[in-house]
Amino acid sequence: MGRFKNNKKSRVIVKPISKKNQEDVSHVTGDKIPKSFVFSRMKLPGSVKQLQMDLRKLMLPYTALSLKEKKRNTLRDFLNVSGPMGVTHFLMLSKTASALNLRVARTPQGPTLTFKIHQYSLASDIAQSQLRPRCPPDLFKTPPLIVLSGFGSQELHLKLATIMFQNIFPSIDINTVKLSTCQRLVLLHYNKDTKLIDFRHYSIRLQPVGVSRRIRKFVQNHQVPDLRNLQDVSDFVTKAGYGSESEGDEEAATVTLSSDLGRVNKGATKSAVKLQEIGPRMTMQLVKVEEGLCTGGIIFSEYGKKENMKKKQDEDVDDEEEDSEEGEEEGSEEDGEDMDEDFED
Amino acid sequence: MTNTRGTDMAKKKDNLDCESDFKTHEHAEFFDKIIELIPARFYVPDETERKWFPGLSKAQKAKAKRKTNENLKKARRDRLDPDKSALTTLDLLKRKIEDEKRISLKQKLKKEKADLRRQRYEMKKAGIELPDDDSEEERDNNEQKDDKSVTYEELRLRLHRKIDELKGGRGGSDRPRSHEKRKKILPNKRKRDTVSEEKTVEDNKSADKGKGKLDVEEAAKDLTFGYVKIDDDEEHGKEKKKRRLSKAKELERAMKLEAAKKDPEKGDVIAKKHSWKAATSRAAGIKVHDDPKLLKQSIHKEKKRHEKNAEKWKERVEGQQKFKVEKQQKRSGNIADRIEQNKMRKIAKREKKLLRPGFEGRKEGFINEGGN
Repeated sequence: MGRFKNNKKSRVIVKPISKKNQEDVSHVTGDKIPKSFVFSRMKLPGSVKQLQMDLRKLMLPYTALSLKEKKRNTLRDFLNVSGPMGVTHFLMLSKTASALNLRVARTPQGPTLTFKIHQYSLASDIAQSQLRPRCPPDLFKTPPLIVLSGFGSQELHLKLATIMFQNIFPSIDINTVKLSTCQRLVLLHYNKDTKLIDFRHYSIRLQPVGVSRRIRKFVQNHQVPDLRNLQDVSDFVTKAGYGSESEGDEEAATVTLSSDLGRVNKGATKSAVKLQEIGPRMTMQLVKVEEGLCTGGIIFSEYGKKENMKKKQDEDVDDEEEDSEEGEEEGSEEDGEDMDEDFED
Repeated sequence: MTNTRGTDMAKKKDNLDCESDFKTHEHAEFFDKIIELIPARFYVPDETERKWFPGLSKAQKAKAKRKTNENLKKARRDRLDPDKSALTTLDLLKRKIEDEKRISLKQKLKKEKADLRRQRYEMKKAGIELPDDDSEEERDNNEQKDDKSVTYEELRLRLHRKIDELKGGRGGSDRPRSHEKRKKILPNKRKRDTVSEEKTVEDNKSADKGKGKLDVEEAAKDLTFGYVKIDDDEEHGKEKKKRRLSKAKELERAMKLEAAKKDPEKGDVIAKKHSWKAATSRAAGIKVHDDPKLLKQSIHKEKKRHEKNAEKWKERVEGQQKFKVEKQQKRSGNIADRIEQNKMRKIAKREKKLLRPGFEGRKEGFINEGGN
């Protein structure tokens, strides 16, 4: 009986190539994770470019942070790439003479919502205006939560907007979610009178309630306190320090945590939820909803028919022109109806 | 003399007493220390009933396990709590002794009370006046009240009360606070229209504290959040996964829809409703197949793919056949060759026999063969 030796020469050793592949399907919920591209197909002025970067950071981690677009790339190119990569949403910024537009679209042939941005503030401006800007290192490692307020469920275009925004960020599974993954919050508030949507982006911070300020600061910052004027440590601990100035006022903003978060906030005790604004701030108005991806019939438009035709002339010519013409024809029917509705109002 | 002697003796006795007291004190301390080393659950037997774990059902066992975990956690916490962790074995022992004393005292008191009451009852019967007996009950209550140590919770409550008192004294809740002042510097650096500029200035002004609270209440009524997945609920799109129509049927549906859209009467309404419905479901991630052109394209593609696959299969089968046939042919050819070779070899062998020296050759027949 011959001895079988493991001949190392004949065996090929394969080293695993570590590939950073983002998961397509969430392990937890089993749903597809929505990914997005934030880009623009024209040259943008400096501050708008920064706004685009801020939006990209907002959509982290499921977006292409360093996406490079060339002049010769058309929308079709992006569409072709998005299929295999599993990208579901496009956020496109475009600037015309009259307006700065943000278009939110769902990729394969989804609806496009066009928002006109009336005002915006950049993330750097907001950070400069704050006394203690806060950016913990893992702030952008988990997707943000989203809160929509004032949208109601009556008007169709608003309902569509809520569904769209709810689907841009992945859903959370309450059985397995960890509190440390809820770090950011995106807030959209619709004002019925002015029809403007306020867009805000906050970072969430939890602070224990009912602990005196000195002890809390000591535990959080690890800074040795100044005990020069005190006789005894007990003086430091039991000195009647005021809690936070606004502690008593915000009773509603306290929650009882289900588990521990960090060293300071323990489970089953009350903690206060504090929001600190980061990220861009925008005031926008929903002006148009199209059936297709920047093509297709216009099913909702804020202004009348004539304005729309004018706007189409101003916008980019890269859009598929045949379809847009078809869309215009179709849209004209429905625009007429919309106009009637407006007049009735 | 006797006095001094007496005092001497007394002193000696005192000394002896002191010494013996000291010694007993030492011994007592030593024993206390030893007792402290023994954990409480061995020395002071705990008379609570133990559950018989193997006999419980699954749910009960899980519950009991959870309870033990909680108890462990609580015990760990209490151990580090300065007020509660003073329970060494010695203390437990002392406590036990005290409890026993108290119980015996209570029983005695009860007995006395019962006797008194009986007496009074008899006296009442007899009609004699009674003294005041309210004070007795009070005294009993006071005796029963244990002096509890001031707990951590009470301290905290006191602290909060003090804070509230001090806060109430501060007053002036309407004056703008420092962080609100800072907010006014920030907003709206990128103004586009003058109209919106005015609007935002107004917005700032109206963000007073009083109004803010009302807005908060109103806003809280109408909030929508991102999707949260709970076990029992399924997304509305996934429910229909099982009922996936074939593409031909979908094409039929799409054509029907298009025809319905062209209908002069209700066409517009249907078209509008459908486009909104399609847009909402597409935004939610559900795939809507309503374009007959695209459907036709995909059916066409599928057919082509099918054809291509069929061809490939046919080719493969053909190739196999050919291969088989070739192999068989080759095989039969080889076999035939071998047979021939064998024959040749045999003939050669026979020929070799006839090639022996002096052999004149085979019989070749007559020279004039054929002639008679």
